[in-house]
Amino acid sequence: MTPGPARFLVLVAAIPAAIVVVGGLGFTVAQSLGLLPLVGPARLSVDAYTGVASELPSSIAVSVGIAVASTTLAVLVGGTAAVLIVAGGRLARVLIGLGAATVTVPHLIGAAAIGLLLADSGLLARTFQVPPTDWPSLVGGPWWVAVILEYAWKEAAFVALVVAGTLTTRVARFDETAAVLGANRATRLRLVLLPLAAPSVILTGAITFIYTLGSYEVAWLLGRTYPEPLSVMAVRLYGEVSLTTRPEAAAVAVVIVTLSTLVAAAAFTLLRRSAVWR
Amino acid sequence: MGAIALAVAGLLTLNACTTPDSSSDTSTLATYTEWNEVLADADGQTVDLWMWGGDEQGNAYVDNVLTPAAAERGVTLNRVPIADTGEALNRMLSEVQAGRTDDGSVDLVWVNGDNFRTGREANAWLCEWTSLLPNMELVSSADPLLTEDFGTPVNGCEAPWNKAQFTFAYNSDVVTDPPTTVAGLLEWAEDHPGRFTYPAPPDFTGSAFLRHVLYSVSGGYENVPAEYTEADFVDLTPELYDTLAGVAPFLWRGGDTYPADSDQLNSLYADGQVDFTMTYGPATLTQLVEDGTYPAATKVLSLEDGTLGNASFLAIPANAADAAGAMVVTDTALSVEQQVAKADPATWGQFTVVDYDKLSENDLSAFKALPESPVVPSFDVLSTDANPELAAEWVPALDEGWRTSIPAGR
Amino acid sequence: MSVSLRSVPPPASAPRSPVRLQGDPGRPLTTSRGMSRMARQGLALLLIVWFALPLVPLVLWGLAEQWSFPARLPTEWGLGGVSSALAAGGAEAFARSLTLGLTVATIATPLGAVAARGLVNGWAPMPRTLTALLFSPLLIPAFVAALGTNILLLRAHVPPVMGLVLVLVAMAVPYTAFVLRTAYAAHDVGYEEEARTLGASRRRVLWQVHIPLLTPALARAAFLAFLVGWSDYIVTVFVGGGQVVTLPLVTASAASGVGNDAVVAVLSLAAILPPVVLLAVLANSRWRTEGAV
Repeated sequence: MTPGPARFLVLVAAIPAAIVVVGGLGFTVAQSLGLLPLVGPARLSVDAYTGVASELPSSIAVSVGIAVASTTLAVLVGGTAAVLIVAGGRLARVLIGLGAATVTVPHLIGAAAIGLLLADSGLLARTFQVPPTDWPSLVGGPWWVAVILEYAWKEAAFVALVVAGTLTTRVARFDETAAVLGANRATRLRLVLLPLAAPSVILTGAITFIYTLGSYEVAWLLGRTYPEPLSVMAVRLYGEVSLTTRPEAAAVAVVIVTLSTLVAAAAFTLLRRSAVWR
Repeated sequence: MGAIALAVAGLLTLNACTTPDSSSDTSTLATYTEWNEVLADADGQTVDLWMWGGDEQGNAYVDNVLTPAAAERGVTLNRVPIADTGEALNRMLSEVQAGRTDDGSVDLVWVNGDNFRTGREANAWLCEWTSLLPNMELVSSADPLLTEDFGTPVNGCEAPWNKAQFTFAYNSDVVTDPPTTVAGLLEWAEDHPGRFTYPAPPDFTGSAFLRHVLYSVSGGYENVPAEYTEADFVDLTPELYDTLAGVAPFLWRGGDTYPADSDQLNSLYADGQVDFTMTYGPATLTQLVEDGTYPAATKVLSLEDGTLGNASFLAIPANAADAAGAMVVTDTALSVEQQVAKADPATWGQFTVVDYDKLSENDLSAFKALPESPVVPSFDVLSTDANPELAAEWVPALDEGWRTSIPAGR
Repeated sequence: MSVSLRSVPPPASAPRSPVRLQGDPGRPLTTSRGMSRMARQGLALLLIVWFALPLVPLVLWGLAEQWSFPARLPTEWGLGGVSSALAAGGAEAFARSLTLGLTVATIATPLGAVAARGLVNGWAPMPRTLTALLFSPLLIPAFVAALGTNILLLRAHVPPVMGLVLVLVAMAVPYTAFVLRTAYAAHDVGYEEEARTLGASRRRVLWQVHIPLLTPALARAAFLAFLVGWSDYIVTVFVGGGQVVTLPLVTASAASGVGNDAVVAVLSLAAILPPVVLLAVLANSRWRTEGAV
């Protein structure tokens, strides 16, 4: 492949993304500004934003809180799993299989599974024969435990597979070289493994954070009625009976995308600093 | 930067596109005048019926009973299972928003209430077609349950399919002295902390529960005007929310949170964590008790104040690609054979919409011969003192009021 | 001049470790001993419990005919869930999901490879903008992307199935591009240059040197892209217009009703199976770098 056709092909690769960005984002912004009404004339206004303004602070706090907790857990567990996978052994093989199985579970099903496990009448409560009244409020409780664990469980598998994947292609050679040059284990971990893993950890972490912020099924199924995370609020407003709440739903969606963009920008700044990405 | 430029370009194109003319309130009318024309057009069409797929018996009825009958009339019926009827509506509205007026992918929807009204507001339904159906003869034209859907006039924009009655069910092993009024039910809840709850509105069922309590605290449905006005809302609802806030600490989880939808409430009931559940679809109760999901002692609560009644319908989107086929399917669904089959508790157990007075002796005996459900009483018994539904405008107002005063107001 | 390209040496001549992930020569920092080894195994067991535990209720429910609270185990075992799943159209939905996942992977993997290579080698115009654009579908919540893009696709009269594949490809390319980007960054073009010098044609270099060297990364990328199509719900409902009733659609609609736990469990387990099989195949024999070269 020479630069000429390759240049062209690179642009082809970006076409689907461009369509989704224009469609998804463009139409959502337009709708939030009152430009795409289902009934009545189009009129530019920020009414949708002022309409939801009073509830935004608590919703942003809940959403960001869940995302931070889920991402931290997912990266810690997934990163550890990746190192163990790369290390090899029989258990590593089991970990790969289980990780792959976990990654394939759609979040909706994952939420159902976690519910069946952690609810007051779930598998754990049944196994330990704890009456529902004594069981901690993991599902629908004040700390969003089941929601955070669902995201952490699924996304840890994603982090593990991607990080292990990038490590296996490169760690062997560098590690060997470092070992030959006389580096001890701790030094090799610090100077070889962590820098090599950093880009994929940053990226999968950012993806987890953004995904958690934008998906609603898990928080809706396993969460509590109030306060609502941003995504749950947006979907509720989308589905509301009156057609006039759709711009408000779009406004909340724009807030989600803005937050996601900030996180992504931060992640890319970190990535550019890492030598391997360059 | 490129992404932003593209987005801006997209916005410009979008403004150049025509938004469908929705300022006029003319509904889309069926173009057919003769049933024969419908039959001719329908032959060979494939009808996509979008329906909520959470009821195994309902799915099996459509696949194994209705679909073969439609096939005999030359129409292929394709069931699209969805988790929420709103998804069908969203698809239709997107098509309308995009100006796709005659090749829509949704041909028929199982719908009622707020979804029907939303579609009406957006002129998204085909109207005045039900009078073409020969089997509409079997349906009473004076039954308010069938001429109005949550206060929205039906106007031939949907054909009745099932009748339903809001039903409270309880575990008679635990609840030995069942309440007989809605007020009594709330008292029972206060006396038995943690054993009762209701789905959080805007869930369909939770929202209907709110209206029952509103009727109860207002001294009966007669005292709540069906038409929505803000004055009535301000006048009537403080007592509703005070009552619910008062009972909240005695609910499941101390009212700290609520089941997100009726399915979650049903699961709580199935697992014995609460002693009551409620549903707008009592048809499913028989099966759920039979297969052991619900306690064997499950009984239907009979309330002196009566409960809300409604009907569910089949509606055709204005832009349906196979409207004629959809009409044939609907006509088939209204036939005596289908309505009898559907009313059998072993098949689905949905209450019929046909008027017994209009049936021949023979057809009537087919309905009379149906086995009775051991759990659910007949529609006549269940719908004694049935309460009318409020106009659909009440629903979002009551839901929003609940959200801001109950969970957020704690 | 005839040259056997099969004689190109593998990238790393490290001794083989007993287990490798997709052609990895393996075993960094691994040859641990004594205490550290035991701690490692304990940690691995803990992680196995972490990943496996949520799957346990699914398996139990899948085999339960009846399981009333608070029984520890199903009160009645049986395969009723399987027959219900088949009656709900599970088998057809399974086939459709498989087709959709494979289609998305087939398109998104080469697109991701081209983009990754262009970005790494500096061919791509405006690399920063392009990177931002390629990754931007991840920033948009799926329901927002589905609802918004749908309006655009409907206006452009794109057939629903094509639109569905397009949106899913856009959502998969960030993953494939990322995986392949890191792979290309570490990729040594020396082998290809050598092959070219020895007279191999461009096409031959691509198929016999380039792709085999990248096979592990390509397989990983394809796997992630497959998952995007395989597990999607919301885009399939809105953009697919009900024409592609996939496994997640059947599962979600069953999950929205009470008393369906057994069916939902069976459908969910069916959803986990193919990707695991796929991964096992990818991880095995001929997909390994050593085997392919």
